[in-house]
Amino acid sequence: MIATGQRAKGWGFVAPALIWTLAFFIVPFIVMGAMSLATLDGRNLIWGVSFDNYASLAERRFLWRAIVVSLEITVTVTVVSVLLAYPLAWIIAFNVPARWQRLALLLAILPFWTSYVVRSYAWLLVLAREGVVNQTLMTIGLIAEPLTLANTRFATVTGFVHFFVMLLTLTIYANLVQLSPNYRRAAQDLGANAFQTFRHVILPLTLPGIVTGAFLTFVLCIGDYVTPQILGGNTELTVPQVIMVQLGRRADFPLAAALAIVLMGIVTLAYLAAARWLRLDRL
Amino acid sequence: MNRLTSTLLATTVLTSVAGAAAAQDQLNALVWCDHMDPELIAPFEAAHNVTVNLREYEGTGAALALLEQSRPGDWDVLVIDGIDVFRAVEAGILAPLPADELPTADFFPEVVMDEVNTIDGVTYAVTEKFGYNTISYNSANVDPADMETLATVWSEKYDGRISIYDYYLPVMGLAALSEGIATADISADNLDALGGVMTTMRSRAASVAGVVAAQTALATGEVDIVVGGGEWLTAVLAAEQPELTWTIPSEGAVRWTQSLGVVEGSANPELALEFVKYIVSPEGQARLATSSCFWGMPANAAAGDFLSDEQKAVLRWDDQPDYLARTQLYPAPDDALDVAMQDLWLDTLAQ
Amino acid sequence: MMRVLPWVYLAAAFVFIYLPVGTLVLFSFQDGRLPVPPFNGPSLRWYGDVLGDARLMAALVNSVGVAFVSSTIAVTLGFLAAYGLARHHLPGSALVRGLLIAPLTVSYLIVGLGLLIVLTQTGFGLSLVTAGIGHVVINLPLAFAIIYAAMGAQQQNAERAARDLGATEARVILLVTVPMLAPAIGAAFFLSMTFSWDEFIIAFLLTRFDVTLPVEIWSLLRSGLSPRLNAIGSLVFLISVAFVLLLELLILRKRK
Repeated sequence: MIATGQRAKGWGFVAPALIWTLAFFIVPFIVMGAMSLATLDGRNLIWGVSFDNYASLAERRFLWRAIVVSLEITVTVTVVSVLLAYPLAWIIAFNVPARWQRLALLLAILPFWTSYVVRSYAWLLVLAREGVVNQTLMTIGLIAEPLTLANTRFATVTGFVHFFVMLLTLTIYANLVQLSPNYRRAAQDLGANAFQTFRHVILPLTLPGIVTGAFLTFVLCIGDYVTPQILGGNTELTVPQVIMVQLGRRADFPLAAALAIVLMGIVTLAYLAAARWLRLDRL
Repeated sequence: MNRLTSTLLATTVLTSVAGAAAAQDQLNALVWCDHMDPELIAPFEAAHNVTVNLREYEGTGAALALLEQSRPGDWDVLVIDGIDVFRAVEAGILAPLPADELPTADFFPEVVMDEVNTIDGVTYAVTEKFGYNTISYNSANVDPADMETLATVWSEKYDGRISIYDYYLPVMGLAALSEGIATADISADNLDALGGVMTTMRSRAASVAGVVAAQTALATGEVDIVVGGGEWLTAVLAAEQPELTWTIPSEGAVRWTQSLGVVEGSANPELALEFVKYIVSPEGQARLATSSCFWGMPANAAAGDFLSDEQKAVLRWDDQPDYLARTQLYPAPDDALDVAMQDLWLDTLAQ
Repeated sequence: MMRVLPWVYLAAAFVFIYLPVGTLVLFSFQDGRLPVPPFNGPSLRWYGDVLGDARLMAALVNSVGVAFVSSTIAVTLGFLAAYGLARHHLPGSALVRGLLIAPLTVSYLIVGLGLLIVLTQTGFGLSLVTAGIGHVVINLPLAFAIIYAAMGAQQQNAERAARDLGATEARVILLVTVPMLAPAIGAAFFLSMTFSWDEFIIAFLLTRFDVTLPVEIWSLLRSGLSPRLNAIGSLVFLISVAFVLLLELLILRKRK
C-alpha cells in the first residue's frame, strides 16, 4: 500500500518532464515520420504511405551527394577536433601550474560565448582573400599569392573545428583531472615508458570522456545549418542545407522530413558504434 | 500545485513578452527584408496610428505554406515575387484589389505587368519594386568590354574569379539568355542546354554565394565577378569602392519584380489596402527604393520627385528605358518545371 | 625542445581560438562601411548604430526573456524528474531516463522541424512561446542529466532526517534538497541560458513577428556586409564574457 502510494508520488515528480518530452519531442517525431511517407502533389499535401521520398534519395543525385558531403565533413571535423583538443586539454591539465589552470581553461573556452551565427561570419572575414590569415602568410613569405580559403569546405571545417575544440577541451580536461596521479606513477614503476603509460593506462581511462564528447560533436555537426551555409560557399551542400532549400522554395515538408529521418538514422548508427563508451546520462 | 502555478506563471510571462504590443490596431505583414526598414514603415504607423508587425521570409513556398496554415485574419498583406503571384492566387491567398485606386498609370509601363498581377480580369497584386539580376564586377580587375558578352564572363580568362549568386531562377535565366533562349521559353526540352552552360559556369566559379558572402568576396578581392548580381548587390559597396559596378550585357539580363497584395480574409482589409496604397505612392516608393536592406527601382516613376540626384545616379534612373527594353522577366516555371529546374541547379552545384 | 613544445602548442591554440573574435572586435571599430582590411579607425559609430536599432534591441530583450523562462521551466522539470527517479524506485526507470535524455542525441534542426510540422498542421500560431517550447525540449535533457548526476547519498540522509522530524515532502525538497543541490541546479540553469540565448535554428523556424537575437542577426547577415554585424557580435560577446566572469568570481570561487 505504502509502496504503491510512494510509486504514484514518484511518477508525479517525473510526469511533467515526461509529458513535455512526449508532447513536444516524441509526438512531433512520430508526425515527422508520417510526414516523410506523405507526398506532395503540386502544392497539396497527400497523407499516405509512400516511399517516394526515400526512393528519391537514390534518384536525385544531389540528395545522395548531400549525405556523402555531410558525412565527410562531420567525420573530418570530429577527428580533427579530438586530435587538436586532447593535447590542449593535456597541457592545461599537466603542464600549466595548478593555480593557473582554471584561468587557462576559462580563456580557452571564452570565445564559446560569442554568438554562434556571428562566429561563422567572423571566420569569413578571417579567411577572406585580404583577411588576416592570407596577410600574415604573405608577410612572413610563406606564400606569394593569397590562398582561396573562404567559401570552401576548408572554411566550413575550420569554423566547426574552432567551436568543437573548445567544447572537447572542456570535456577531456574534466576527464584528465579526475585521473589519480597514482595511475601514472604505478605504470611508470612497472617500467612503462611515457608512451606505454599513455597507450595502456591514460587513454583507456579517458576514452569514455573522449567518445562522449566526440559523439556530441558528431550530432551537433551533422545537423548544423549555419556554419556550412555561411562558410561553405554553397559549392557543395550538406543535408541540413538541402532540408532548408526544400522548406524555402517549395515547402516540400515530406522530403524535408524524410531527409531529417535519414539524418536521425545516421546519428543512431553513430550512437550504436559508440554506445560501449558513451556516458550520456553522466555528462 | 506549486509547480503547476509556476509553469503557468512562466508561460504567462512568455506570452506577455510576445504580445507586449497588443494594444493598438495591428497590421500583420509577411514581407521581404526591404520592408523591415523603420524609415519606410514608421510614417505609415504614425499616419494611421497602427502597429505594423513584420515578418520576413525566405522562399515563396515557405510563405505560402505559412499563410495556408494560418487562421483567417492572421495576416493582412503579402509581398511576393512577381512570378509567384499566380501561385498565391491559385491557393486562394490573395484578395482582389480595386485596380482603379492604384496609381499604375504613373508606373514604368513595362512593370505594371497585368499578365502577372491580374488573373481572369481581377487584379490581385501590384508591382512595387524591380531591378536586375545581371553581372556585377570589379572594373579595376576585369576588362569592362569582356562583361558585355555573357560567354566571355564565364570564360577561361576569369577562371576562379567568379561567384554565382545563390538563387536558381535568375542564374538559370542568364544561362538561357546566353544560349539565345528567352526566359519565357525555358522548358523541359531545353534544360539540357541550360545544364551545359551551368556546368561551365560552375567550373569557373570559386563559390556560389548568398548576399553577404558575395559582397564580402567582391569587396575583399576574393572574386571579381558576381553572376546574378546587380544594383541591389553593389549599391551599398559603391560608396567606398566605386570600382565595383554592374552592367547589362548585350544578350540582356533578367529582371526581378516584387508585388504587394492584400491577404484574403484579412481582419482589417481597409487598413491593408491603405498600406498597399502607401507603398505604391510616390513617397512610399522612394523610401522603398532606398530601403536599408537593398536598393531597387521603384515601380512608380513619380517616385523620382522624392529621390535625390545621388540616389537616382546609384539607381541609374536615366538608363531605365534602355534597361527595361533589353531585359526579360525572371523565368516563371510551373510546378513541374520548377522542380526540374531546382533539381538541375542542385545537381550542377553539388557535383 | 620538449620543454618548450607544450607552450608553443598552447600559444598556437590560443591564437586559433582568438583569431575570429579578435578580427570581429577589431573591425567593429572600423570607420567605414566595410568590415574588411585596411582598418581605418577606431570609430564608435557602429556601436551607436546598433544600440539605436529598435529591432535589434527588442530582439535582445526577447532573447533574454525566452532564455530565462525556458531555462526556468527546463530546470524545474529536470529537477523534479531527477528527484522522482533518484528517490523513488520506479519500474522502467532506465527507459524513462533514456526517453528524457533522447533529445540530446537529435539535431536542433530536427527538433525544430518536427515541432514546426506539428504546429503548422494543428494551426497553432508561431511566436516566442513556441520557440521557448523548443528550447525547453533541448535543454530539459541537459538539466535533468546534470541534476540527476549530482543526486547522491548525502542529500538522501539529510532528507531522511528532515522527514523524520516531521517535514512534508514539499518542505524537504525546498528546504533541504534544493539548497544542497544548488551548485548543480545553478550550473544547469546557466548552461540552459547559454544554449537558449544563442540558439538559432529552432528560433528561426518557430518564431513569427517577434524574434530572438540570433534570428535578427541572421537577417542582418542576409541583408549585406556591414560593420554593424561586428558591433552587435562584439556586444554579445562582451555581455556574455562579463556574465561568465561575474559567475566565476562570485559563485565558483566561493565553492572552493
